[in-house]
Amino acid sequence: MKNALIIIALLFSVSVYANEKDSTIINKTGFSLDFKNVFGTAPFEFKKEYTTAFGEKLNFVTLNYFISNIKLTKKDGSEYIVPQDSSYFLIKHLDSTSHGIHLNGIPAGKYKSVTFTIGVDSVRNTMDVSKRTGALDVGARARGMYWVWNSGYIFFKLEGKTINEVDSLSKNFQYHIGGYGGYETKTINNIKVKTIELGKIRVSSKKHPTIHIQVDIAKFFDNVNPLKVAEHRSVMGGPFSGKISENYFNIFNLENVTY
Amino acid sequence: MLPTKQPYSWNLIGIVTCLVILILSSAFAVKTFTPEPMVLEIPSNFPKPTYDFANNPLTKEGFELGRKLFYDGSLSKTGDISCGSCHQQYAAFIQADHDKSHGVDDQLGRRNALPIFNALFKKSFFWDGGVPKLDFVPVNPLENVVEMDMKLDSAILKLNASEKYRSLFKNAFGVDKITSVEVLHAFAQFMGAMISANSKYDKFVRKEGETLTANELEGLKLFQTKCSSCHATDLFTDGSYRNNGISLDFNSDKGRAEVTDNPADIGKFKVPSLRNVAFTGPYMHDGSFETLEQVLEHYNSGIKQSVTLDLQLMNKDGKPGIPLTKEEQAKIISFLHTLSDFELLHDNGFSEPNH
Repeated sequence: MKNALIIIALLFSVSVYANEKDSTIINKTGFSLDFKNVFGTAPFEFKKEYTTAFGEKLNFVTLNYFISNIKLTKKDGSEYIVPQDSSYFLIKHLDSTSHGIHLNGIPAGKYKSVTFTIGVDSVRNTMDVSKRTGALDVGARARGMYWVWNSGYIFFKLEGKTINEVDSLSKNFQYHIGGYGGYETKTINNIKVKTIELGKIRVSSKKHPTIHIQVDIAKFFDNVNPLKVAEHRSVMGGPFSGKISENYFNIFNLENVTY
Repeated sequence: MLPTKQPYSWNLIGIVTCLVILILSSAFAVKTFTPEPMVLEIPSNFPKPTYDFANNPLTKEGFELGRKLFYDGSLSKTGDISCGSCHQQYAAFIQADHDKSHGVDDQLGRRNALPIFNALFKKSFFWDGGVPKLDFVPVNPLENVVEMDMKLDSAILKLNASEKYRSLFKNAFGVDKITSVEVLHAFAQFMGAMISANSKYDKFVRKEGETLTANELEGLKLFQTKCSSCHATDLFTDGSYRNNGISLDFNSDKGRAEVTDNPADIGKFKVPSLRNVAFTGPYMHDGSFETLEQVLEHYNSGIKQSVTLDLQLMNKDGKPGIPLTKEEQAKIISFLHTLSDFELLHDNGFSEPNH
C-alpha cells in the first residue's frame, strides 16, 4: 500500500511537471496591454474633483469599459488574431487587477500595431449564454454592464456627480453607452474598433512587451464632440450616444511600450 | 525516493491498486451526472424552432430544474413573486384579470404580461422585441425593479447557498458551482419545452379526428381574409411590430421605438399570438380591452389614426379599420375559441411543483 501511495505521488508529480512544461512553453511568447486611466495630466481617481474643458466641476464613481477582439498586425501586414473565445475583457477602474490584459501564445515576430474593439461585437451580443462567460457573464463579472430589457452589453460606462459652485449641491450624471446594431432590425451601432500604431515592437521568448495605453477621461467631454454634463446628464442609448462613442474612441492613446 | 529493495510483486500490486482506484473514481464521477434526455415533438403545423437545444441539451433534470426556478418566489427581492405569479397556468401563462401585472411590493408593470408558451418558435420577446434570445428572457423580469427586482448575480449567490439547488444543478448540468449559464439554460429548457399545439384547431388542421362547426369554419375563413396577414402561420403572429390604433399618446410608452430609436417605430408593438386568446384577456399591450368582442369592435370602428398606424388597417377610402359586421365578429370569436389548448392548461408537467 505504501508503494501504491508512492506510485500515485509519482504519477501526480509527473503530470504536474508536464503541465508546468506546457505552460512555460506558452508563456514564452506573449504581450500585455495595460490601460491607464487619466484625466488630462492628472491620474484618474474616484471622488476626486476635476474640471472639464467647459469649466464643469465633477467627480466620478464608475468607470468601466469592454475591450475585445484583440489582434496584432505584423510589419508585412499579416495578422495574429487572439482566439475569439478568450478575447473579451472588462476593465473596471475600481479593480486594478483588471487594468492589465496578458496574452500568451503569440507567435514571435515584429509587430507594428494593435487593434481592439471598444465594446462587444454584434455576434457575441446575441450568442447563447454558454458563450458569455468570464468578462461577459451577466450574472457575475458583467453585472451592470448589460441592458436586460433591450438586450446588449453596455460598452462604456462613466458615472459621477457635478458640483455646483453656487450652492455646492451635487447632481448625478451617467453615461451608459452601448448598441451593437440590432438583431432583427437596424439599431444604433456604437461598436468602435481602435488601432494603435506601435512603431515596431518585438515579441519573442525573451521579449514580452507591455503596451501602455492612456485612457484620457478629460477627452471624453471635448474630443471631438462637446459634451456639457448640464445639457446631457443621462445618456443611455439614443442618438446622442453616437456622439459620445466618437469621443471615447479618441481617448485611447499609446503612452509607451516597455519590456 | 524509490523503494528499490522491495520485491517486484509489491510494485505490481501498487500499480494495480492505483488503477483500480482510478477506474472506480472515474466511474463514480460519471455516475453523478447522467441526466435523462428529453425529446420534444415539434408540431407538424408549426414553423422551425428559433432556439437551438444543441447548445443546451434538453433533459428531464434540466426541465424540472427550470420549472422549480420558474415557481420560486425566493428569486424576487421580497421573496413572494415568482415568474409563475404573473404567468399563471390556468390563464394560459398570463396574469388573469390584470391589465398590468403586479410585481414586488405590489408595484404595477407598464405593460400587460404576454403568455410564454411556444417561446421555442419566437423571433424575439416582449412587446417591444427588446430581447432576441430565449436564454436572456428571464433576466428582464428578474432584474426589473417593478417585477422581481433581483439582480441575476444576487439570484445566483442565493442558489449557490442552497444545498438543494446545488445538488439539482449538479444532477442536471454536472456542475459544482452554479453560474448564469446553467440558470438561464434551465429556464430556457422549461420555457422552450412548453409547446401549445393541441387545440381543437390544431387537431383539425393536422387531421387528428377533430372537426370544426359550420360557425367556426366560417370564422376561420373570415379570419384568413381579415386577420391572417398579421396573425400569420399556425403561430398566429408574423412576429412583426405594428401600430394597431389603440392610442394617440405614446409619451409613456413608445413601443418598438424604445428599442430601435427609430421615430417610424413609435407606437408599434409586437403582433401577439392568438393561441389561447380566450384565456389571455385583458388584451393589447396596455390591457385596454376586457373582452374579445371589444377587440373585434376596435378593429371595426375604434382605430385611432396616427402617423405610424399600420397601412394594412387603412381602407381604400382613406378611413381606418377592418369592416366587420357583428355577425362576422361573432363568427371570428367562435373560431378564436378553437385555439384554446386545454391540455396546456391542465398539464401537470408545467404546474407548480408539489402543487
